[in-house]
Amino acid sequence: MKLKLFIHIILVLVLTAPVLHAQKRITVSGYVRDTTSGEELIGANVAIRETGSGTITNQYGFYSISLEPGFYTLVYSYVGYNAESKPVNFIEDMELDVELSEAANEIEEVTVTAEAANSNVTSLETGATKLQIKSIRKIPAFMGEVDVIKAIQLLPGVQVTSEGSSGFSVRGGSPDQNLILLDEATVYNASHLLGFFSIFNNDAIKDVKLYKGDIPASAGGRLSSLLDVRMKDGNSREFEATGGIGNISSRLTLEGPLFNKKASYLVSGRRTYADVFLPLARDTAIHDNSLYFYDLNGKFNYTLNENNRFYLSAYNGKDVFANDFAGMTFGNRTITARWNHLFSKKLFSNFTFVNSKYNYSLGTPEDAIPRFTWQSDLTDYGFKGDFTYYLMPGHTLKFGASGIYHIIEPGLIITQTGGNDNDTATLAANYALETGIYLSGDSKLGDRLSVRYGIRYSQFDNIGEATVYNYNDHYMVVDSTVYGKGEFFNTYRGFEPRLALNFRINDASSVKMSYSRTIQYMQLASNSSAGTPLDIWFPASPNIMPQLSNQVAGGYFRNFMNNKLETSFELYYKKMDRSIDFADHAQLILNPYLEGEIRTGFATSYGAELFLRYTDNRFSGWLSYTYSRTIRTLAEVNKGVPYPAPYDKPHDLALVGSYDVSKRISVSANWIYSSGLPFTLPTGRYKVQGNIIPLYTGRNQFRLDDYHRLDLAVIIREKDRSNKRWKGEWNFSVYNAYARKNTWTLNFEQDSEDPNRTYAEKTYLFSIIPAITYNFSF
Amino acid sequence: MKRSYNKISVLIVLLVISISCTEVVEIELDSTYDRLVVFGKVTTDHERHYVELTTTSDYFYNEEPPPVTGATVRIMAGDSLITLEESAVWPGIYQMSAPYTGVQGVTYQLKISNVDIDNDGESEEYSAIARMPFIEKPDSISLERFITPFFSGTQVTLWSPEAMGTNYYNFQLTRNEEMIHNRLSQYTVQPDDFFTDNYIAGLPVGFLDDDNEDEVVVPGDEVTLVISSITEDYYNFIVEAQNEIFGNNPLFSGPPANVSSNIEGDDAVGVFAAYSIERNSKIVPLPAIPQK
Repeated sequence: MKLKLFIHIILVLVLTAPVLHAQKRITVSGYVRDTTSGEELIGANVAIRETGSGTITNQYGFYSISLEPGFYTLVYSYVGYNAESKPVNFIEDMELDVELSEAANEIEEVTVTAEAANSNVTSLETGATKLQIKSIRKIPAFMGEVDVIKAIQLLPGVQVTSEGSSGFSVRGGSPDQNLILLDEATVYNASHLLGFFSIFNNDAIKDVKLYKGDIPASAGGRLSSLLDVRMKDGNSREFEATGGIGNISSRLTLEGPLFNKKASYLVSGRRTYADVFLPLARDTAIHDNSLYFYDLNGKFNYTLNENNRFYLSAYNGKDVFANDFAGMTFGNRTITARWNHLFSKKLFSNFTFVNSKYNYSLGTPEDAIPRFTWQSDLTDYGFKGDFTYYLMPGHTLKFGASGIYHIIEPGLIITQTGGNDNDTATLAANYALETGIYLSGDSKLGDRLSVRYGIRYSQFDNIGEATVYNYNDHYMVVDSTVYGKGEFFNTYRGFEPRLALNFRINDASSVKMSYSRTIQYMQLASNSSAGTPLDIWFPASPNIMPQLSNQVAGGYFRNFMNNKLETSFELYYKKMDRSIDFADHAQLILNPYLEGEIRTGFATSYGAELFLRYTDNRFSGWLSYTYSRTIRTLAEVNKGVPYPAPYDKPHDLALVGSYDVSKRISVSANWIYSSGLPFTLPTGRYKVQGNIIPLYTGRNQFRLDDYHRLDLAVIIREKDRSNKRWKGEWNFSVYNAYARKNTWTLNFEQDSEDPNRTYAEKTYLFSIIPAITYNFSF
Repeated sequence: MKRSYNKISVLIVLLVISISCTEVVEIELDSTYDRLVVFGKVTTDHERHYVELTTTSDYFYNEEPPPVTGATVRIMAGDSLITLEESAVWPGIYQMSAPYTGVQGVTYQLKISNVDIDNDGESEEYSAIARMPFIEKPDSISLERFITPFFSGTQVTLWSPEAMGTNYYNFQLTRNEEMIHNRLSQYTVQPDDFFTDNYIAGLPVGFLDDDNEDEVVVPGDEVTLVISSITEDYYNFIVEAQNEIFGNNPLFSGPPANVSSNIEGDDAVGVFAAYSIERNSKIVPLPAIPQK
């Protein structure tokens, strides 16, 4: 009933808006770009001074505004750029591309205009945060490797899952509940080197935006968040090279125009080189070991004409870890092909084909006896069609459809023992089709009230060939059902409504509320807190229903000091049904009966998030504080007693700041504090066959020590010589500056001398880690 | 296969260990009520099989576990009843009065009574069932040197026919008839997932680590592989107990959890096992003389 009412409201809004304004209108449309590189700017403001209304550029830098004939002033602005005003006489439809220049010098790079700076107040989004790549570069980084995900982890409502990990929990969700898109292709494992680094090479990234709750209706398939990462298109004006040489890796990015500036390209690479130094090690046994990762990003785009643009982007990255007797590789590959087409000045469309692949392989060398090889692959083929219809200022409609074909091959195992031929065992593959259609719109209802409404209808089909095991009440396999190749044998579907309201009190303050429902059909089989590259994804099935989340959020947004100080206070409540956890001692690796290890129930998460961000000519930084709780209740876990979720950290505080001492020197610091992770500690013990076995009385009933850490960095830029293209800077950073021994895990050991004595031992990962990186561009 | 997977896990953990440190910490833990702890076994070896009864204690109790005395302990072996006698020397140990050889395929039922663990003045009863699995006689074992960048030792490899159906194995090693792997944490257990109803040809089943002086072998030593065909309950008990004994790390470990038990009654822990045993031995050969 509620859903019908919701759909009715949407139809009223969609159908009445054009009727109410059915007068002749003139449309001005175009792209907003960076003057220097020609990169389209995502989310740039286009305001109409005379009416106070406006729009923002979409993910491709496109905007469209329709007004009654007349003379107007369009003001284009973007954070970190000088605003441009364009007087425009709206007498006939026209194209108007605008280029914005970055603020003149480094000191002033964060200067913003009033129109742009209060976008946090005027936008409809709650729980959405956009980080500037330039800001991320100033944050002290682990081993000097600037990292998008590590920056995301400093935002309110986002919690790191384990020290050093690239996994993150958003508003109590599991790491697999975050949809991570790189140029619209799903990234299934964003980690390198066990999570200490993410796969995102900052030099190749243009834009990063995290949606913590009010996920756009165009995206689906995950409960908690959307991390939308966009690669640079490549400099369309002139050749440019950027790079860096650091402790652990080096990187180089080349970009430039092609075909008389109708096209541009970008090629970017990064590789670690710890193994380069292994031959110098005293232990000769490790001289031939391999230990590295690399990333390759490439992008090509071509502008056929004003109505047609083509983009092709790809990413390939791999971790290699091997020696003479065993090895492992894992990595992601994404390919995205896109076609932007303007059907009219008001109707923008984008058609996307994506291919994502995550795979790993591990085992012994091929000629080893005994031999063991294990391969796992996850492949997506997807297609999307997205349309944006610019009805009029303040009224935009978005609609589209998408489909992803998932192929999950969890394990091909080849073993060869001394006297046998190869034995091959294959864990059955899963095939599934995930589809969705959506409609959403932004409407401004009067001067103060704005509404974003959206509905997504998603469907998930399991497809043969498949063997589905049937389980009894004790999760024992009783029989199985075999389905033929191509047979659609199980379907889940559901509506996912989204609604957001913004009541603008004045130019500096607003109140926002949102509601969203999300459904997740694919999940990760992982019950460790840090996760490993070997974790596999598994789909909803006749045995596993899709997870469902309903979230309400509200917040008060207030800017001070002419928008230099942004503040927000948000509250949220989220209920996750069919929430997944695993049986005690679950065997998640190479288990054909994985579904028998899964237990379901519900989880609730609630919290308050405070965010203060200050930006002026010399100082920028933020404070984020989150109080939150996430409690799971599963009938068959912890004897049905509710218990804290693995990432439940009530208090989470981050202080981030950078200060430009001069044009050449910047200093920055982070201080992070959070409650310790929940932990299960023994309350008793018993001895069997010489070993002491711990006894537990409740899951996650204790906490590790509180976590805190200080990171520092100094950036020293070389003198800017106008006659030289070469620009260089030194980045000196210190991770964990006061050498806090933060507990990574706690173990209980049996004394080897006195086997009746036991003691507790904590493991911590990092002490002080200094790093030096030299960055350059020419 | 599990062993190979473990090698990879070891590799990854080594990477983490290379950048991690440990230190002993003082920590206060809660207490919990006492539970009966049972460890009992019947095997195909001809001996006086026993059942050990103790109770749980606080985690930092740091003493031998409190024995449970005065209990009545019986084992039903098919249709016959065997009453175990409490040892006068080792409190809490209940032994058969005469040597007994377990029979493959027979179901053994353990019954414990006349104990009052919760001290409420009323005695409790506990029971467990285990059906002794079948086992085939192994053909041979081989001993091979195994050297990696991180460790080296002697690998023991098995050639053996396999009993029909699903089987679970526990592999232990003796050196000159002295059991080396006699602690729970030293057992090597493996299901037959990848060689069901097949011939076990050259499966690595044991390892003698050069860095452990108890495991070092020299030419002329006799190494014996003790193969036990165990029940699924006992297999799960060993695997889960080893998970808890070896500790956890955020990469590979799920949340700590209690080890499952096949003992019925009042939250008792431990295991009652019935398993069949075969052995095969090999003399450690002299090193090969290098060819000139």
